[in-house]
Amino acid sequence: MATRSRGTTTLLALAAGAAWLLVVTVLGAGPGLTRWHGSTPMLGALVGVSFLTAGTVAWRQHPRNRVGPLMVLLGVAWIPQQLVFLPGDPVWALALCGVWAGVACHLFLAFPTGRLAFVSHRVVTGLAYVVALVLPLAETVARFPLPRPVRLFAGALDASSWQVIVLLSGVVLAITIKRLRQASVAQRRAIAPVTGASMVATVAFAGNRVADLFGHSPLQFQLSIVMLGAFIAVPLAYLAGIMRRRMDHGRVAELVVRLSRRERPGRLRDELAATLHDPGLAVGYWTAEQGRYVDTEGRPVDVDPGQGRVVTRVDQGEAPLAVLVHDAALLEQPLLVEAACAAAALALENERLTADLRARLRQLAASRRRMLQWGEAERRRIERDLHDGVQQRLLSVAMTLGLAEAGTDPERAAPLIGEAKTAVLAALDDLRAVSHGIHPPVLTERGLSGAVKELAAVSPVPVACDLALCEPLPQSAESAAYYIVNEALANVTRHAAASKAWVRLAAGAGRLLVEVGDDGVGGADPARGSGLAGLADRAEANGGVLTIDSPPGKGTVLKVVLPCA
Amino acid sequence: MRVAICEDSTLFREGLARLLAESGFAVVACVDDAEKLIAQVEKDPPDVAVLDIRLPPTHTDEGLRAAVQVRERHPRVGVLVLSQHVRVSYAVELLGGRTEGVGYLLKDRVSDLAEFAAAIRRVGSGGSALDPVVVEQLVSRHRQPGDPLGLLTERERAVLRLMAEGRTNMAIAERLAIAERTVEKHCTSIFAKLGLEASAHDHRRVLAVLRYLNA
Repeated sequence: MATRSRGTTTLLALAAGAAWLLVVTVLGAGPGLTRWHGSTPMLGALVGVSFLTAGTVAWRQHPRNRVGPLMVLLGVAWIPQQLVFLPGDPVWALALCGVWAGVACHLFLAFPTGRLAFVSHRVVTGLAYVVALVLPLAETVARFPLPRPVRLFAGALDASSWQVIVLLSGVVLAITIKRLRQASVAQRRAIAPVTGASMVATVAFAGNRVADLFGHSPLQFQLSIVMLGAFIAVPLAYLAGIMRRRMDHGRVAELVVRLSRRERPGRLRDELAATLHDPGLAVGYWTAEQGRYVDTEGRPVDVDPGQGRVVTRVDQGEAPLAVLVHDAALLEQPLLVEAACAAAALALENERLTADLRARLRQLAASRRRMLQWGEAERRRIERDLHDGVQQRLLSVAMTLGLAEAGTDPERAAPLIGEAKTAVLAALDDLRAVSHGIHPPVLTERGLSGAVKELAAVSPVPVACDLALCEPLPQSAESAAYYIVNEALANVTRHAAASKAWVRLAAGAGRLLVEVGDDGVGGADPARGSGLAGLADRAEANGGVLTIDSPPGKGTVLKVVLPCA
Repeated sequence: MRVAICEDSTLFREGLARLLAESGFAVVACVDDAEKLIAQVEKDPPDVAVLDIRLPPTHTDEGLRAAVQVRERHPRVGVLVLSQHVRVSYAVELLGGRTEGVGYLLKDRVSDLAEFAAAIRRVGSGGSALDPVVVEQLVSRHRQPGDPLGLLTERERAVLRLMAEGRTNMAIAERLAIAERTVEKHCTSIFAKLGLEASAHDHRRVLAVLRYLNA
């Protein structure tokens, strides 16, 4: 629109309209007009003018859309029937006076794309053209003194014309209603005015033809007025649509103002939905961390929507910013969507950060809750172990030694002391297990490298270690990495059926990379195994991210990146 | 036999000194950190140095590092590492491919005085003493189906464990209450099944078994 000057369009449209009026007035002036009913010739002239003018505007604005040419064609095809009543009954005008109806059918069925999308539509349009040419021809032929069989045939055709017209009009009406019903909200909003006017015109046209059977009557006259009015309304509605789109673009400016006083998150979607007239609009914000689009609540947004919905990406330079999941009808107004997105870019970035944060918080809250529960359960377990194990054993030692002390028989003392010693050793064993559960002693003594080497040393599956660490690392990262390697290697042993495995630790740039891989069966899915979910929790609770690459039959590689500043 | 003790817990250090003295050892030094032990070994090498893993100043692995250092610099000094827990990787590091004069035991083992004294004597005379817990961890690595270790009989397995702990054929025979000849027969069978070259020498035999288990 910006590339075509508005002035030229107006000029062309005015010229086309003026030329048409000139033709009709010059040719139709004089006695012909008197045979018409009052205002109908004037209305008829307006139909042609309006189609020609609107068609010219449409053609200029959307050169590749056939709606414009079709409207122009309709305007031209309207001429013969306007001149039917010229003195001398011009035969050519009589023969061509129905063509406009074929073009009208074509236009109504092809609106708004300009194409006949279905075979059925093409067939109906073809039929309409045939009927529009043949019926007036038959009526013309019947007037001439031709051989009797020809005249009889033409007469029969002429007599059946009203049924054919009513039938075709019915089909066109049905197709239009169906299209309107199947349209989405945004589509319906775009096509309703033109389609509505075309439906009224179709009904009035068929009604007019039926009324014609009963000769000139007030009803027929009224139907003629309605039909002509509806026909004028079609191009006017089209022009109004163009005006409304201009106003839609104007609404983008309002959007900027409204967004600047936005109070709560989530409103941005509503504002965009209102500006784009798409109540079902969804906005997804990019989260780099999760590598997907989420809504303001942090829930994932489906970027592969169903039929009738399309996805428009909004990027900021190279970086993805957001996606709009909107009605396919908006594809016809790419400039509007673009302008709205540009206007909302700052708000979108703002909202994206909020959404990103919420998504993280959501994830973190969930993993923290699970870790807290886990920690609580762990403390209970340790308490129980100490209570049931070490404390009971030491109690029994005290009792046994008490017996030995009180005993008078020195021979009984030795076995009692031996019993006490056994119990003390068992208590030591218990304590070792408990303290290992609280914090692995190897981690204290040798750091992460040594502890991982120990895990590798006792693993039934041979483990190769590549440990490029410059210790010391933060204790929390060390501990998390240790448990992750421990659990991952346990999974390798339990599920992978691997012949070898490897552990790679690398630290740098404030991050610790933990990688555990194997050459086993693969197919590990965090959604199913609770072990992997536990690993993900441990990674997240320590601010890390876990990724698993486990194609079936191709081994498993588990990677965790932990922050360790 | 002359023994030097390095242990930071006074209670355990003094108790151990008393225990060893009563068992006929000459306790030549009782120190509480690794540097002092190394100084002592440089000055007057004992037959066996008994030391803890966690020692001052950091209480992490000073003892283990000191043990490795002593073994490298003084091959004739036996080193016995005692700890609250035992780990395979520590054992591998401590041995460093040489089973002469080295021991790695849980502190708990001091409760069986006769066994403990025998272990020190073994280490002091160039033998080895590996804790049954470490041996068990090594053996349990070989649980996967198809491992040659699965071919061993129950009795052969018991012999293998005791061998890995560093015991002589006579000690094994005594422990299992069987004839020394029977132990020898079991050994031949074990080595054949595991595809190892049989060696009459105790050190080489222990090394072969440990290498196999740790492979």
